[in-house]
Amino acid sequence: MTSFTRSFRLVALAAASACSMAAFTPAWAQDATFVLNSREAGAPTYNPIKGTKLNIGNNLIFDRMVIQDADQSFHGQLAESWESSADGMSWTFKLRRGVKFHDGEPFNAKVIEWWIPKFKGTENAFMTEAIDKVVIVDDYTVRFQMKNPDPSMLLNMSTSFMGIPSPKSYDALGDKFGVTAAVGSGPFKLASFTVGQQTKLVRNDDYRWASDLSKNRGPAKIKNLTLREIPEDSTAFLELKTGGVDMLLGVPTDFLPRMEAEKSLKVVTMPGTEVFYMPMNTSVAPLTDIKVREAIAFAVNQKEILTSIFGGLGAEANNFLVSSLQESKIDPKFNIRFNPDRARKLLDEAGWAMGAGGIRTKAGVPLTVKLWTQNGTQFKRVTEVVQAQLKAVGVNAEITVQDPASINAMYKKQTDHQLAVRAYDYTNADILDWFFSGTRLGYPNVSMWNDPKAEELNAKAMKGSRTWEERVTNFKAYHEYVMSQFVFAPIYQPTQSFAYSQTRLKLPDTIRGIKMATQSIMDIEVK
Amino acid sequence: MLNYSVKRLLLLVPVFLAVSVVIFMIIHLVPGDPIDNMIQIGSSPEQRAVLIARYGLDQPLLLQYAVWLRNLFTGDLGDAIILRRPVLELIAENLPHSLRLGGLAFIFSTAVGIATGALAAVFKDSWIDRGVMALILLGSTLPSFWLGLLMILLFAVQLEWFPVSGARTWTALVLPVLTIGLHGVALVSRVTRAAMLDVGRRDFVLMLHAKGLSHRRIQLQHVLRHALLPVVTILSLRIGWIVGGAVTIEFVFARPGLGSLLITSLAQRDYPVVQGCLLMLAMAVMLGTLLGDMVQAAMDPRVRDSLK
Repeated sequence: MTSFTRSFRLVALAAASACSMAAFTPAWAQDATFVLNSREAGAPTYNPIKGTKLNIGNNLIFDRMVIQDADQSFHGQLAESWESSADGMSWTFKLRRGVKFHDGEPFNAKVIEWWIPKFKGTENAFMTEAIDKVVIVDDYTVRFQMKNPDPSMLLNMSTSFMGIPSPKSYDALGDKFGVTAAVGSGPFKLASFTVGQQTKLVRNDDYRWASDLSKNRGPAKIKNLTLREIPEDSTAFLELKTGGVDMLLGVPTDFLPRMEAEKSLKVVTMPGTEVFYMPMNTSVAPLTDIKVREAIAFAVNQKEILTSIFGGLGAEANNFLVSSLQESKIDPKFNIRFNPDRARKLLDEAGWAMGAGGIRTKAGVPLTVKLWTQNGTQFKRVTEVVQAQLKAVGVNAEITVQDPASINAMYKKQTDHQLAVRAYDYTNADILDWFFSGTRLGYPNVSMWNDPKAEELNAKAMKGSRTWEERVTNFKAYHEYVMSQFVFAPIYQPTQSFAYSQTRLKLPDTIRGIKMATQSIMDIEVK
Repeated sequence: MLNYSVKRLLLLVPVFLAVSVVIFMIIHLVPGDPIDNMIQIGSSPEQRAVLIARYGLDQPLLLQYAVWLRNLFTGDLGDAIILRRPVLELIAENLPHSLRLGGLAFIFSTAVGIATGALAAVFKDSWIDRGVMALILLGSTLPSFWLGLLMILLFAVQLEWFPVSGARTWTALVLPVLTIGLHGVALVSRVTRAAMLDVGRRDFVLMLHAKGLSHRRIQLQHVLRHALLPVVTILSLRIGWIVGGAVTIEFVFARPGLGSLLITSLAQRDYPVVQGCLLMLAMAVMLGTLLGDMVQAAMDPRVRDSLK
């Protein structure tokens, strides 16, 4: 081979490499793959009106009227401003101009007039049931006339179920909407969707109307975004480690040390939205006795659980609500903190004397209770520690681990369970109504608590508040009463964590919102 | 042979009906229902009742079964309650993935299992035999979940030969096929070896030795052929497994498939999907067994005579 031929081949090879780099780098550089949080996995549809389980992709496809920040404040997305009348009987929203759906249709007051009635008869109807009718004030102003005041209006409007679809596409697709196609006005368009596997999204290049929680008002920096579902945590971790994916939107606590040990990965923790707690069945002896319930509540050592099981990540739970909620800031005297001496004293007072083998007895009957939980490593570990803590004050708790899909039905039998280690993930004080209302005995009211004063306080909090401030006050009163009756023991508040590849992604300095979601994804750059 | 095949096919009808009853009752009698997975925090007991009525779950169980069976005979498996799509469509979407994975694993385990089993039998009590048996023991005792993760660590993380998970490229099939296939290899190999050693003790083999044929030729040409009958039986039982035997592996490798669909739907008590998937699996097992019986009948006239 002559030197000319060799040189020519080298130049040609270099040129071909450069061309291929030029051709592929930009496309690759703007592509990202995120793994969905396991809690969001399996969402069957991208229909916000009818869907009962939605994932983060929903908020990327559809815009909402408002979105909520971590401090619980509301920020306009499709609504520029809003106001409520003094009596809470009407809400007026000024709508953003210049917004177009992915199918080119305009967003305006007529869309809202069409949208709200669509909830009627659906599984999500309760979200809008306080709205009597929508009145168009002008092309970009609507007024909701209310059947009753609903101080949760903005909160409801900020949920994923309030993503606004294109009326034209929604009506044309019928039941196929959200399954074969989904058309919103969000920063990403749905390209393809396979339930339980992945969702492919492409950037909406016309998007210019992100909320003020994003530095980048649009379009998004990521061009193609794939949301994958990987059920096995170890596999998801190995995918992130090997560069198969760029971000895990949820990281189990067990994996945090391993993630943090990887230099190419960064773990971000945010205040949690979950609470572990132990309801007590107030309808079954010996838990019918408030002193026994109080003793059990004070026997749970929250700090020990936080440090020994969760490595100090998260926080102790001392009442029922996530600590970022205003309604969780109750009078400190109602909070429940570990106090074994008080627990022992209460059990003595209740007539349960310490017996042989460290288990208390009364009239020859040992103080034995059934302690249920559901399958899952964290549930089992917490339950085992709680069992040991109860034993330390003389209560014998016998653990039964139930199938998660069956356990709610078993609670509905109402008398089979006594104690249960459970968790919920929700950031609204109306969770108190869900778990303690006398209309839902068995499940979700696992405590089987039906108390007239509680029902009265609940009704006042749920329906009798005209403003947000009033609602907070009323829910605080209800929360304090729930705490005073020792119908559950608070245990633990996990943090929420996500992890990403530092070599692939550049994230904004501050993650806005309650979780890693649209407002922060707008600002993510692929390196 | 035709007579035998028709009789075997007719026998499937009552089996199918019995299976349909068991499938329907099992899923409806276990605690939990799909509505618990649908209702939102904040919805009222009345709204729950509306949903129960909407999906006909308030009807007597026998009536629900009759409706399901009637629709079944018209080829309608119903609509998924949670997934909100026709069950047939969901199965059609997932079945090819299961068939591809299970089919390749079946071929791999059959080919490698027969080869290693024959090798171990030919070289009985040698280091080859002991080596093959040790590997088989390892293959059959390692949980497939753990084996899958080991495969990922070695071939995807360390060597970077294959992707960790997913179903986007054909290379993503290699590790799951190997993981499932190795379990099958252990079974097929053990049966092949045992059958060959059994056949090797028969009179006709002694005769072949007396004729002066080489040991290896006798083993591979004559003994192996006769030893395949029990292997075919085992393989026919595994045909049903092709369709839904890879549940754990689909989970570890984040692959779509009938197994994944079944597990997800079972966790959500999505009755129509669970019933549809289980029915598919049962039919695959029934047809696999039928196929195995027919192959056996073709190979051995005594089997054909058994139904006379």
